[in-house]
Amino acid sequence: MFDLIQFSSVGEFLNMGGYAFNVWLVYALFAMFFSVNLTYPLIRKRQIVLEQKRRLILNKEIVSQNEDNNEVDNLTFRVGEGT
Amino acid sequence: MWLWFSKLGSPKWFYELSGKWLPWLIGPMALLLIVGIIWALLFVPPDYQQGNTIRIMYIHVPFASISLAFFPLMALAGTITLVWRMKLADIVAKTAAPLGAWFTALALASGSIWGSDIWGTWWIWDGRLTSMLLQFFLLIGVISLRSALEDAEAAAKACAVLSIVGCINVIVIKYSVDWWNTLHQPSSPFSLSNEAPNPPEVWIPLVIMIFAVYLFFAVSLILSMRNEILVRERRSEWVQQLVQAT
Repeated sequence: MFDLIQFSSVGEFLNMGGYAFNVWLVYALFAMFFSVNLTYPLIRKRQIVLEQKRRLILNKEIVSQNEDNNEVDNLTFRVGEGT
Repeated sequence: MWLWFSKLGSPKWFYELSGKWLPWLIGPMALLLIVGIIWALLFVPPDYQQGNTIRIMYIHVPFASISLAFFPLMALAGTITLVWRMKLADIVAKTAAPLGAWFTALALASGSIWGSDIWGTWWIWDGRLTSMLLQFFLLIGVISLRSALEDAEAAAKACAVLSIVGCINVIVIKYSVDWWNTLHQPSSPFSLSNEAPNPPEVWIPLVIMIFAVYLFFAVSLILSMRNEILVRERRSEWVQQLVQAT
C-alpha cells in the first residue's frame, strides 16, 4: 500500500510539485472552516443556556420580591404550604 | 403519515431525535473525511496537465456541489412554511442561509485558488463563476432580508419567496458550463475503465469526499437548528427544564 504513495519524501510532499502554497492554502481554509463550523454552535449553545438560566433566576427573584411586598398573602401562602 | 408529518414539525420532537442522530452522523463523517483526505493528498496520481493542483479538486468539487442544494432546500422549507406554517420548516430556512453563504464562499475561494494555477487567473467573468457569485449575493440577500424585517412571520414569508425565486439561479449554475463554454470545464463522467481520463483511482476518493462533506453539511445544519430551537422555544417548559438540568 505504501508504495502507492505519490511522494518519495516528506519534503516532496510538502512542496506539492511546486504548487505548495495554493494546495495547502485550500486545505487550510477547509480545516479552518470545518473546525469553526463545528465549535461555534457548541459555544453558542452554552451562551444560550447561560442566558436562559440567568433569565429564569431573575424571574424567580421578581416573583419572590412580589411575595415579600404582600406580606399577608405571603404568610397565608407559607401557612398553606405547611412550612 | 399525517401524524408523522405534524410530529416532525414539532421542535421538541426534532430536538430529541436529532440528539440521537448526531453521533451516527459525526462518526461516519469523521471516518470518511480522514480516509478521503489521506487518499486525496497522498495516493491520487498527479494529473498529467495540472500536476498536484488536482488535489484541490477534492475540496472544491464537494463544496461546490453541496452549495447547489441550499436554494432548493430553502425553497422547499419556504413552501412548507407558506402552506402549512410548520415551525420547523422556517427554522431550516433560517439556519440554512448563513451556512449556504459559507459553503458557497469556500467553493468560490477554492476554485479561485485552483484557477490561479491552472488558468493563470484568479477570476474571470465566466458563466459558472458569475452565477456562483450571484448565488453568494442572493444568500447574503436572504440573510439581510430576514434581519431587516421586524415581524418574524413577515420575514419568514419574504425569505420563502426569495428562496423560491433563487432556485432559478441554481439551474443557471448547473447548465452554465454547457451554455457558455469558456474556462470552467464541464463535469466529467465517472468511468470504471483505467484508460479513461477519469479512472476510478481519481474519482473514488472524490466520491468519498463528497459524502463526507454532505455529512458535514447535515451535522452543521442540525447543530445550528438545535440552537435556533432553544432560542425560539425558550419559554416552553421542556426548554426551561433542559436549561435547569445543565
